[in-house]
This record gives sequence, C-alpha cells and structure tokens, in this order.
Amino acid sequence: MSSVLRHRIRSVPPRYALVGIVVLLLAGLPTVISSYLTSEWAQALILAIAIMGLNILIGYSGQLSLGHGAFMALGAYVSAIMARHYHVDYLVTIPIAGILTGGVGFLFGVPALRLSALYLALATFALAVVAPSLIKRPKDLTGGVQGLLLVQPDPPQPAKDVFAAITGTAMTTDQWIYYITLFCALILFWLAWNLLRLRPGRAMRAIRDGEVAAAASGINVAGYKTLAFGVSAFYAGIAGSLLGLASGFISPDTFPVSLSIQLLVGGVIGGLATIPGPLVGAIFAYFLPIESDQWAPGQSWIPSQVATVIHNAGPAVSYGALLILIMIFAPNGIVGLAYSGYALLRRRLRGAGDRETGHVPPDPQTV
Amino acid sequence: MSALLELEGVHAGYGPTSVLHGVSLEVPEGGAVSLLGANGAGKTTTLRAITGGVHWTGNIQFDGRPLHRMSTEQIVRRGIAHVPEGRGICTELTVDENLKLGAHRRHNDADLRKDYDRVFAYFPVLKERRRLSASTLSGGEQQMLALARALLMKPRLMLLDEPSLGLAPIVVRAIFEIIRTINRENKVAVLLVEQNARIALELSSHAYVLEVGRVAVEGESAELQGNESVRRSYLGY
Amino acid sequence: MQELFQLIVSGLATGGVFASLALALVLIYNAMGIVNFAQGEMAMFATFIAFTLISRGISYWIAVPVTLVIAFGGGIAIQRLVIRPVERAPVLTLVIITLGLATLINGLAGVLFGYIPRAFDSPFPPSSYGVFGVYVGYQDLGVIAMSGVVLLAVYLLLQRTTVGLTMRAASHHPEASRLLGVSVSWMLALGWGLAAAVGAVSGIMVAPVLLLEPDMMQTTIIYAFAAAVLGGIESPLGAVVGGLVVGVTVNLVGVYVPFVGGDLQLAVALAIIVAVLVIRPNGLFGRASSRRV
Repeated sequence: MSSVLRHRIRSVPPRYALVGIVVLLLAGLPTVISSYLTSEWAQALILAIAIMGLNILIGYSGQLSLGHGAFMALGAYVSAIMARHYHVDYLVTIPIAGILTGGVGFLFGVPALRLSALYLALATFALAVVAPSLIKRPKDLTGGVQGLLLVQPDPPQPAKDVFAAITGTAMTTDQWIYYITLFCALILFWLAWNLLRLRPGRAMRAIRDGEVAAAASGINVAGYKTLAFGVSAFYAGIAGSLLGLASGFISPDTFPVSLSIQLLVGGVIGGLATIPGPLVGAIFAYFLPIESDQWAPGQSWIPSQVATVIHNAGPAVSYGALLILIMIFAPNGIVGLAYSGYALLRRRLRGAGDRETGHVPPDPQTV
Repeated sequence: MSALLELEGVHAGYGPTSVLHGVSLEVPEGGAVSLLGANGAGKTTTLRAITGGVHWTGNIQFDGRPLHRMSTEQIVRRGIAHVPEGRGICTELTVDENLKLGAHRRHNDADLRKDYDRVFAYFPVLKERRRLSASTLSGGEQQMLALARALLMKPRLMLLDEPSLGLAPIVVRAIFEIIRTINRENKVAVLLVEQNARIALELSSHAYVLEVGRVAVEGESAELQGNESVRRSYLGY
Repeated sequence: MQELFQLIVSGLATGGVFASLALALVLIYNAMGIVNFAQGEMAMFATFIAFTLISRGISYWIAVPVTLVIAFGGGIAIQRLVIRPVERAPVLTLVIITLGLATLINGLAGVLFGYIPRAFDSPFPPSSYGVFGVYVGYQDLGVIAMSGVVLLAVYLLLQRTTVGLTMRAASHHPEASRLLGVSVSWMLALGWGLAAAVGAVSGIMVAPVLLLEPDMMQTTIIYAFAAAVLGGIESPLGAVVGGLVVGVTVNLVGVYVPFVGGDLQLAVALAIIVAVLVIRPNGLFGRASSRRV
C-alpha cells in the first residue's frame, strides 16, 4: 500500500469509521435475525427518524415540544389517505407527507415564537392529547375509530434476487420495508448532519444558548426557530408515513400522548444535541418497555429479589425510574456520557492539549 | 478578647474567576467598620462570603464560631443581618409582610413589640404604608424598609451593602443618622460597604480599603480622613 | 333556562375539580418555575390510597383527611428525593423529570391497584335539591362545597399564617428570603406537599364521576392546564377563577355547540390554551414578566 493511502486511512477520524460500521451492521441485520425482529427494528428506526427531528427542535434550537406524535399522525394519515382514496403509490406519498407535515410545522412555529419554553410544552402537550379525538372526527376521510388498512408493497424482484443471493432465503415484506426505512433513515440522518454542521446548525445553537445574544449578533432568530419547527415536523411526518407502511394499519390509537412522550424520552436518553443520540435513544425507547420485563430475571448478576421486583414493577415503572435517574446523573444522555468519557480518555492519553494544534478538545454539547 | 467578626486570609470568587485574594478584617462587638474601595474591588463579594453566598476559602469566624460549610440561612440565624446590594426587598409582598419576614423567627412577645415600636419611631413612613405593596415605596423608603426588617431580626451584626446607592443626599444623611443610632443605642455592630467614603468614615470608627481583592489600607477612620494622600488615591476626595 | 342553570351548576362543580388541580400546578410553578406534569398522576395515586382506606371500612370523612396528610408527606418526599438534586437544572431537565415521575407513578398505580376501573362512591346522595323548579344534584353541590373549603383553607394558609408568608417569600424571592433566615429549600418541599394535597382533593372529587383507574386524571390534567393558563400561571386566584370558567364553558359548549360532542370537549380546553397564549399570554391575573438577560 502506498504511504499516501496508508496516511489517508490512518487520518480518518474514528468517528467516520464508527459510522461506517454502524451502517454496515444495520444493513446486514435482516440477514441474521428473524423477519419479525426485523420489523421491530424497522419500528425502532422509524422512532429514530422522528426523534432526530425532535432533536433538531429541542437540542439544537432550544424549543420544547411534547406533541410531535401529532405530527407523526399527520404524516401517517396524509400518506394513508393519498394511498387509499387517491391510489397514489405509497412510496411516493412518503416525501409528500413529509413536506406537507413540514409545512404545517413551519406554520406552527410562528405562534410558537411567542411562547416561553414552558407554555410551548403545555400547548404541544395539549395538542398531543387532543389529536386522537381530532382524527376521529372526519370519519369518511380518516376511517374514524376504525382507522385505515394499508396495503404493504411486495419486495421488487431485483431486491429479492440480491437478498436470496446473500442469505439463500426469500425476502419478506417486512424485510423489504426495513430496507426502505433504513434508506430513509440514512438519508435523513445525513441531511441532519449537514444541516447542523453548517450555518443553520450554528445559528440554532447560538439561539439555544442565548436568544438575546444571538439576536444581537444579527441572527434571524424568528426565522431559524420556525425553520427548526418545520424541519422537525418534516422528519416526524416522514416517520409517521413510514409507520403506516411498517404496521399496515393506522388508527387514532396509534398516536396516543405516550408516543409524544416516548419521542422526548428517547431523545433525552440518547442525548440531545448529538447526531447518534436519536438512534441510541430510539433503540432504548422502543426496546426497553418490551424487554425490561424479561431482561432482569435473566441476568445472573442481579440478585433475584431485586430482579423480581423489577419484573413485577412492570415497564412503566422501570421506564420512569430510568428517565429520572438519567436526568439526575447523566442529563446529556448516553451519547453525551460517551462523549464526556471519550474526551476524558483523550485528555488522559494525549496530555493536556492536542499535539498538533495545542487546542484542548471542546467539551461535548450540553443541553 | 476576640472580635465579633473575623476574616483571615479569605479567598473567594465566582467559578474560575477569583475576586478576593486574602482579605483579613475584623469587626469588634458593637463596633462600626467601613469597607471601602472602588467598583469591582471585592467589597460586595466580601459580604457575600460572610453570609455564604459565594464560595470561599480561608477563615471566617463569627462570635468565635467558624462559618465554614454553613448555609446562608444557618449563618443568618446566628445573628447576622445582611442588607444586600439593591436592598433585597420582597416586592411581591406588602410592607408589613416584609417586616414580618424579618421577625418571623421570633416569638411574638413584649420584646418584639418594643422593637416594632422602635422601628416605626425611626421610620414613620413605614407605619403609614404598612398595607401597601413594597413595590410602591421609593428608593429611600425601600432602604428604610430593608433596615427596619434587618433590625427586627435582632441581629448582633448588620452587613450593609451600599445603603446610599441611588439616594438623594438629604435622604442619605437621614438614613445614616439612624444607622448610627442603631449602632450606638441598640449595640448592633455594623460592617458597612460604601462607595461614598466620606459619609462612611463619619459613621465608622475603623475602615478597610480594598483594592483588587486585597486590603490596601486600614486604620482608624479619623486617621484616614485626615490623611490627604490616602484620601486622594483611595477614597476619591 | 332551567337547563342552562343546571349546566352552570354542574359546570361549577367540575370547575371546582379543575380549580383544585390548577391551584396545585400554580403552587409548584410559583415555587420553581416549572409545570409539574406529574400532578395528575400524583392526584390519582392519592385517590387510590383513599379508596383503599375506604374499602377497609374507614369512613369517607376520616379517610379523606388521612389521605391528604399522606399526599402531603408524599409531595415532600418527592421534592426531597427527586427534585432537590436537580433544583438548578434547566427547565427541560425538570420537565422531563416530572414526565418520568408521571410515567413511574402511573405504572406503580397499575402494578399496585390494577387497571380495572373501580367505582368510587361519593358521600353525597345522588338525589337533587329542588328550588323554583330547578334541580341541582347534591353531588355537584357537595363538590362545590368541598372545593370551596379546600381553596379557602389554602388561601388562609398562604395569606394569614407565618408559614404561608415564608412559603410565598421563598417562591418569589429566594435569595432575599435566605438572607432573612428562611429555609428556602424546605419551603419548596412544603410547597410540593401542599400542592400534592390540594391535587389529591381534585382526584377524590372527580373519582365518583370518572371511574377510578390509573389513567383517570389524564384528561383532567389538560383541563387544569387550561385553567392555570387562563388564570395566569403564577396566580392562585387565577387558578380558581380559571378552573370555574373552564368548567362552565366546557359544559355549555358541549351541549349548545352542535359539533362539539363529548369527545371533543377536550379540544375546547386546547382551544382555550391556544387562545390565551395567543391573545393574552399572561392570562387573566398574571403579570407581564420582563426577559431576564
């Protein structure tokens, strides 16, 4: 290998390598797990997309929303209605749902400007609670309480062929849908990474850290805040649309208040104001309630009395307790904790500053 | 006999910024001491250190007991009344309620009633405005309320942070007269932080001048008043 | 005309429930600048405690005060254990902690008491009191009376006692209060205890109407939010007035506005919240606060 190439490989920041590994793992997942588990992971990825949107709003622009489940509902119903009543190909409806929901979110962002963080939380929370009832009303359009059944697409032949070549088994619908979801997630995460790296991201962070100072520096605070709302709604809309695809069925009960809370919880546990945070948080938020019952008794290092208590207490209690503990001890979430740990390690290994530039690595983003 | 309040080698600051670099001073029982200096010299920080409002190292003793690791409430209950910069008036409450707050830890007995009478004798306007919201008081009246409230705590030491700030000279004179009376007759020791050095030195018997977090000059007030170069360099007149 | 009057009275009764829960929210908001999203769940849990006591044979009129005392203690415990460690944290952290608390308490109630809705008997007779041809239910009158008593008691406590004074001072002027020897931290704990007790009353009053189950308070809390926002999130008086207004309005709109059925009454609450925040964000009795730089 030429020394230039070797140098190039060595100078790739560990972060990019990690991303590559994660993408490969996610892409290969359906080949090693059951089709059912694959559909669960698809749901987790959908959550990750919605949480990424929420992250842009909360972690980067500093506005709070407890109602993003309602935006997901909007996206889901837009797709469902277009597919069922107007016979549009479902995959085509996904970006449309996203854009429409994004537009609504943008409009939302305008009155939201006048509300303090707390009032915004209240208003969006109320929205989330009311959303199911509002959906039920236009029965003809939304199917009311009974919801809408959706046709899930079969995998196209080329995909089937590739999959069969790698695993020797036929690709199921669930697996195909997983790949659609993964594809969307990758695009959207890449989009978010760029948005946040460049000027909009910096502007939003400046706003989050001090609106008055940001305005004084000439940043269009109102513009960026509404933009953040619109973008986060766009993500939620796409997530909702994908949710319809993955479940094959949506109804008002698919979008209860607890969904909005789950998004917030996932975002915080994963780590706000980070890019990997939403993915980590989504995995947590999706699998913890399901697994917490079974997980504890299976662990040999947890004394049986404690394990029984955890098991009997049920998912909600563990969930709530975990949330509280994380906010007290690790308010920057898992990824935040990882970043702090990593920064600490680097400092210990490298000495006080970076050898080349002499700069001390910056502290990880705080909420 | 040790002083009522003793500070020895006190360092204090806000986060990474250090403001006090080894301040030592004392206030004798029933004494009146001024703490002078320019803006930013650390006078307010010194008072805040005493009542636990800022992190400090060194030695601070009140009545022989060290004040390390005590919360503000605990320190104040030992007999120190601190009237902060800006007076600290509870504007959400009425004048009467502010006074009651000062007295809230005391038993409602003859002693307290006497103190109320005394306070209203010093500041009749407070009696008139009892039921009104404290936010309706003028600057001078708020200063009076702050002093009255502090008095009702029956302190052994009063820390006063710039009582003259924003007040007309005639009001300042009246208030300082009352502070002097409180000091002399009620035997309450006073540690006075002031930018108006002249009036502070008239009140106090002893004075310390802070400069950039250190005691630059100290001595009897009369001496400092008489020393022209000290007055010019440190006291601004 | 009769129907209108009856609707107003029953609206005042539900309004009393909203007012109590809204008052609890306002008390905590005043103490720490956050809305306690767990207030409804705390009220529900206290109601389950009352239910347990009553089903053991204890009279309603003894079980309820005992429950209030337990709720008071519970509120203090929560403040000391969960809230105090993060007192200085940003708003978002605190909001999430209250959400976590809500989830935890809801789950705990499910585990301890089960999800089957229970009937909670009201101590008031189901009959009505007739005057001038108008019939007003004893239930409604009972709720109005109970709310009235509780709200009056809180008012007297806060305005006429020394403890109430120190609590108010600690809420609005924590720094100055410390310098006056007030244990601000304990006053906050007391505030939580008081809020828990007042919230418990609202749960106990509403249980006979909605059946008692872990999700019982999830709609009531939204109405309470609307009431608190309408009255001005900092004003206890506003919470009371707001509660009554919301109660009556929701009742009247549900009946007289044809397209709002029972299920969209909640949307009325949302509409109120949005309207207030857009037209007059400080509510009826709130004060405009300046931005602290």
